[in-house]
Amino acid sequence: MKLIGNCKISKDGVFLNGELKFTLSEETWKREIYTRLAIDYPKFHKMDALAKMAFLSVEILANSPNPYEYGDSEMALIFANSSSSQDTDLKYIHSYEVKGSPSPSLFVYTLPNILTGELAIRNKWYGENCFFIEEKFDAEFFLEQINFYFSKGAKACLCGWVNSFDGKEECFLFLIEKDTIDNTESLKEELTKLYNQ
Amino acid sequence: MSPIFMTYGTMITPLGNSVEENFDAMLKEQSGVDFAENSGFNQENWPLGKINSLPAKNRYKELLQRTCKNLISSHGSELFSDENTLLIISSTKADIEALPKDTFASTRSILKEELSLKNKIVIISNACISGVIAINTAADYLQHSDFKKVVVIGIDALTDFIIYGFQSLFALSNEPSQPFDKNRKGICIGEAAGVVILSKEKINEQFHVEYLGGSSSNDANHISGPSRTGEGLFRSINLTMQRAKIKAAGIDFISAHGTGTNYNDEMESIAFDRSGLIATPLNSLKGYFGHTLGAAGLIEVIATMKMMENSTLLKSVGFKETGTTRAINVLRENKQQEVTTILKTASGFGGGNASLILKKCL
Repeated sequence: MKLIGNCKISKDGVFLNGELKFTLSEETWKREIYTRLAIDYPKFHKMDALAKMAFLSVEILANSPNPYEYGDSEMALIFANSSSSQDTDLKYIHSYEVKGSPSPSLFVYTLPNILTGELAIRNKWYGENCFFIEEKFDAEFFLEQINFYFSKGAKACLCGWVNSFDGKEECFLFLIEKDTIDNTESLKEELTKLYNQ
Repeated sequence: MSPIFMTYGTMITPLGNSVEENFDAMLKEQSGVDFAENSGFNQENWPLGKINSLPAKNRYKELLQRTCKNLISSHGSELFSDENTLLIISSTKADIEALPKDTFASTRSILKEELSLKNKIVIISNACISGVIAINTAADYLQHSDFKKVVVIGIDALTDFIIYGFQSLFALSNEPSQPFDKNRKGICIGEAAGVVILSKEKINEQFHVEYLGGSSSNDANHISGPSRTGEGLFRSINLTMQRAKIKAAGIDFISAHGTGTNYNDEMESIAFDRSGLIATPLNSLKGYFGHTLGAAGLIEVIATMKMMENSTLLKSVGFKETGTTRAINVLRENKQQEVTTILKTASGFGGGNASLILKKCL
């Protein structure tokens, strides 16, 4: 397996391939990244926090050498988090319990896998998708799933840990390409280190 | 590749508390969908697939506990406490009542306690295709890890959260749903739990099928509406047929997703036509149970396995007249017929599509 690139974003800053690219001001940090990337994608503003973070990470990683150069169904999207869409769930409940009517625009984001749909739409990725709920980031679990998708024919796996709950927001994205080297153990260590940076 | 077998565990729906009770009710053409008083945000009486014996609060936890108790009584405890057994759960909202606390915490604690599990629990939450993906993931574990058995539970309970949400999208039907019919008006939401067990060797004398392959594909089109061309479903069906080494002509039956909304059912008809499956008999089981979200893939696969076991095709409840631009072969009547190879499909929010192919063990 070959680690093509990785990106970690939170209010603390943007890390690309293990290097701190820039730091951010607290509240509007996702908007700040969007502005700095100079992207024009109005749909971004409608997304919930999970989808925004995944979207931005994918755009940032696009600036590293040769990402996403696969056929439109050759890359699997494997995503996970620990809090599902609970942040948006609470906002949606607020819409009908307090604000007077259930909000359809919030309701559609009350599923964590909506973010993979957003990435697929933006990039025209038709490959396999799966979203898992895990207690904590576990590089070994991702590598196990990546191995499954490689065995089934995927050329690459774009993986992400995207969490938004109780004011804590983070996204760690990494792209793994299939090759013949079995380096699961060293990759596990490397990914754990990069996630904790 | 070594063969992968699958059998059914249990099934709890408005129609019954076991696989047998459910299938008997389905043979009698009963539907579990009924009008539920004041269930809407504005006190509408939406038709829902509601399990009336569940309490008003903690429906999810109670349903999960009942599911575990059924499994222990039908399959014994050793299957679950075995260190070679993995458990995968498919749920979209799980214990949503737990908010603002973790909505998946009770799932882990109930399963660990009731089933004395040795291993971690894999949770899949991928909207309405969760169930089919969970079965595909179970097969991955059997092919490429040391696990010998994988139990897959699909479960979701009725909540105001879900009902109000689909109501806000104008996706609910004010009559029991009629998938693929000309007069279909939308979705009826339901609640259910369904369990299948996949294994490297048959686990008991019960009916087993062989799992031949599965896949998923994204529409890359819209987060809450299906592709107009059925692209994702078409791609998934083709990839699944390729993996299963089965051609369209080799598929005897399709257990479709068929939610009863205009756009979804139309999309499916296009994808089936594009896949060379326009004449293949099919049904949607949403007329019996409503749309049970994370449980849908599981209970529909179980009902289809019972159809294979009994050489009986169940009709698509609610379907009378073709209502899609492609004239697919939706069953109007139950039919005695040998069914060897089936295709199961699912589509959902986030643009997800998934499918799998099963073959009767002869």
